[in-house]
Amino acid sequence: MNENLTKDSTKWFGARMPRKEDRRLVTGKGKYIADFVLPGMLHAVFVRSEVAHARIRGIDTSEAMAMPGVVAVYTGESIKSQMKSMTQKVLIPNLPAQYPEYWALAAGTVKYHGEPVALVVARDKYVAVDAAEAVAVDYEELPVVLDAEAALKPGATVIHDDATSNEIFAMTFTGGGTVEEQNENDAEVEKIFREADVVVSERFKVHRTGVTPLEPRGVLCDWSEADGLTAWITTQRPHIDRLALIDILDIPPEKVRVVTPRDMGGAFGIKAPFYRENVVIAHAARELGRPVRWIESRYECQMNVGQERDQVNYMEVAANKDGELLAVRNRGIANVGVGLVGVYWGFVMPFLGAIELPNAYTWRKGDVKLRCAVTNKTSNTPSRAFGNYPTRFALERAIDMAARKIGMEPAEVRRKNIIPELPYTSVTNDFYDSGDFIKVWDNLMAQIDLAEFRKEQVAARKEGRYLGIGFSCGVELSGVASELMVPMENQPGYGSATVRVEPRGALLIFCGDAPSGQGHETTTAQAAASVLGIDPGDVVTTTGDTGTTPFGSGSIGARYGAVGVSAVAKACEQIKAKMVRVLAHDMEIKAETKDFEFKNGEIVYLHDSTKRKAFKDVAERIIMSPINLPEGEDGGLETTAFFESDKPMICFNADCCILEVKPETGEWKIKRWVTSEDVGNVINPMVVDGQMHGAIVHGLSNAIFEEYVYDEQGQQLSADFEHYKIATAADVPDFEITYASTPCPHTPLGTRGIGEGRPASVSGALTNALCDALEPFGVEITELPIRPSRLWKKVQEAKVG
Amino acid sequence: MKTITVTVNGVAYEETVPERMLLVDFLREQLVLTGTHVGCTYEGVCGACTIHLDGEAVKSCLMLAVQADGHSITTIEGLAADELTPLQQAFIDNHGLQCGFCTAGVLMNMSEFLEKNPNPSDDDIRHGLIGNLCRCTGYVHIVKAVRAAAAVGQ
Repeated sequence: MNENLTKDSTKWFGARMPRKEDRRLVTGKGKYIADFVLPGMLHAVFVRSEVAHARIRGIDTSEAMAMPGVVAVYTGESIKSQMKSMTQKVLIPNLPAQYPEYWALAAGTVKYHGEPVALVVARDKYVAVDAAEAVAVDYEELPVVLDAEAALKPGATVIHDDATSNEIFAMTFTGGGTVEEQNENDAEVEKIFREADVVVSERFKVHRTGVTPLEPRGVLCDWSEADGLTAWITTQRPHIDRLALIDILDIPPEKVRVVTPRDMGGAFGIKAPFYRENVVIAHAARELGRPVRWIESRYECQMNVGQERDQVNYMEVAANKDGELLAVRNRGIANVGVGLVGVYWGFVMPFLGAIELPNAYTWRKGDVKLRCAVTNKTSNTPSRAFGNYPTRFALERAIDMAARKIGMEPAEVRRKNIIPELPYTSVTNDFYDSGDFIKVWDNLMAQIDLAEFRKEQVAARKEGRYLGIGFSCGVELSGVASELMVPMENQPGYGSATVRVEPRGALLIFCGDAPSGQGHETTTAQAAASVLGIDPGDVVTTTGDTGTTPFGSGSIGARYGAVGVSAVAKACEQIKAKMVRVLAHDMEIKAETKDFEFKNGEIVYLHDSTKRKAFKDVAERIIMSPINLPEGEDGGLETTAFFESDKPMICFNADCCILEVKPETGEWKIKRWVTSEDVGNVINPMVVDGQMHGAIVHGLSNAIFEEYVYDEQGQQLSADFEHYKIATAADVPDFEITYASTPCPHTPLGTRGIGEGRPASVSGALTNALCDALEPFGVEITELPIRPSRLWKKVQEAKVG
Repeated sequence: MKTITVTVNGVAYEETVPERMLLVDFLREQLVLTGTHVGCTYEGVCGACTIHLDGEAVKSCLMLAVQADGHSITTIEGLAADELTPLQQAFIDNHGLQCGFCTAGVLMNMSEFLEKNPNPSDDDIRHGLIGNLCRCTGYVHIVKAVRAAAAVGQ
């Protein structure tokens, strides 16, 4: 218990309650995938492609098989007849694309460096590693395609045999449903550009970067004839993984259970796709009749997941001299890697990025087109800020460049064009449900004194010091409504929860989503306890077990605060109503739910407070003594609720970065990072602050340090933390997080889902501040990552220019 | 195979291990002390495997089990006796962890750090943390928690 807490149960919602998860985690008692051990468990190690594109002439497994302790070796050819391909309907979006057929292990060809080619299963982990090295693969190398624009050129080597080109997906997001409507729209946009006072036209490039949770992936599968398959997987969506395993391995549905370990060491999107490794490990467990476990190495993790963002945006912005933003035109070209990843196929992220491109501004018109190219790089996988990172960077930079051309404060241009009233439908037909963007923006500006800063800036320049200020903002997802989720990922968007009151009055809650550090056990308890007036200590939440939880599409897109918690609240309201019906009947009064208060473990009749009963006693009465119930009422106290929002919901943020640059070295120091957030009603402020901090550092680390690097043969050069640098504590500042929230009118508790999209706006504020500081040199950043060495070079080029 | 004697969290063990077995694997798999984690390529970059060896914070992925022969080790499971240490409590009170995967290593590093630096500045704490990667918290609450622990004497 901490001093911030009150014993008043009506205050649980919004309290800075210490997390229920933490005691086990600070004492080393968490249980992550690598901590699961079963009797007789075998260890699996994947053999992975050493080249980026090749035909497999043959695989010699004899030496590996002969090693003492090796139990089995599987290859693509050996498994192909035992299962279906990975290209199953459950994993395919309802979007027109060229979906390549592929298998759990590479069969025939390998298409990126690191692709799984074979699996070695052994009694000992070290032996399995040795044996994997002894598997000899004979490769006949094929031409490598690494650049997206080159991949789309006529005559480029087509990577997938069943595709007509490397363009896996392309779409126009503006103008309407028909080509005629789109052409007409494009012509109108062209007219705006021709007549505009100011036009910015630039090629913006964001590198290949993304996320890397500290815990890589892992799978443990157990098979028995009686119960079938139990699979513990580091997955954000166990219910989808279960369906995919059923379909690919042709196992009867009643015989597959998937469990996400309660403790998962971060995910940030990479544990959202359905992966080949799950299938191979499950197959091995079924074949061998023994538990088989695979724990991904850091090398494998860096080479196979967490790569995203890689996109060029040819972006144009038209504005008039008063600072009105008129139209945005974008030609996005995304390098989606090889595209062999269930649910996402590499391109779903840039798809959403294009939809959300207009951000928080009132464009009169837009012309947004996207082409997604397959290359011999790892498939892009979702990475926190899903698809938005490259387009937010481009747009927020373009707005600053336009402001400079107009001669207006970038902050003023933003304020002038921020959507004044919601709901709003953007030029890409993106629906923004609720909130007050102006309130959020004005709150940000109230935290800083821009006029005073400009004076300081002028004074500092006279001393040869370069201060800069940069702004950006981001409209981000708060859950994903079915309206968007069904086409985009072929899955439902509703949240779900089972709430079970047990006879002693404790609350057991079951959620099908699978968190990875967001604190669902805590926020669920706070929300449920506040609805039912009980102690959060009496609430236990089970997540991620398909054997016990209702169907849910998984912990993705900031779903939990939006639809997950809402399902919990809805279920608790149903429980509450039933308890009131029985209690009123017992008290022989005519009353409705609103006539009772659930508070501090009691249910009190509001019109006569002597009529009260302990929550646990009413629970026990309904569950254990279901006699003399109201007519038509059944015993038992448990319900499952689903919560769906009709339309997509959003959250919103604005960032301000103030920094100082040394032009002579290109180094900078962030002096202040101030934010303003609309997160809706807050369940636990500490948790929300933590999400913001982590997301902003994520955005900074992506912009400055992290980069997946390939050489010209497609060899991955960034497969460890020595070569893929992540921000350390000493690399990043503290943050001033402020809130100007509007309760969400579409959720029962007014909550919004937050934290997922939050990194997207970060690079804009950072690079805008750098360019503002170096305005005397005329430096404009159009590519990420931005590092001191690159910034110094830009200053030198500007001096020459 | 080699037989080693080692004291872990106050318990003396005599164990036979392969010469090539890493200390972190020995702790996790042979002694089933799974609170110590592996997050990188066994190159000491992420810090999740940090333990105390004779009272000094070291990364257990950079040592072999046989090198621990004759030494005394404390892991996260041995950090607290009955009560949580003020540092552990400060991490809970200040939300100094999210997924918890890096936390054991952070706590083992910072408990030693605070012994050597009882009154650290934020800058000292941030530099003391460079051997621990955290992907969730953005470090803000970690720094706050360490500062809070320092204020009450670890």
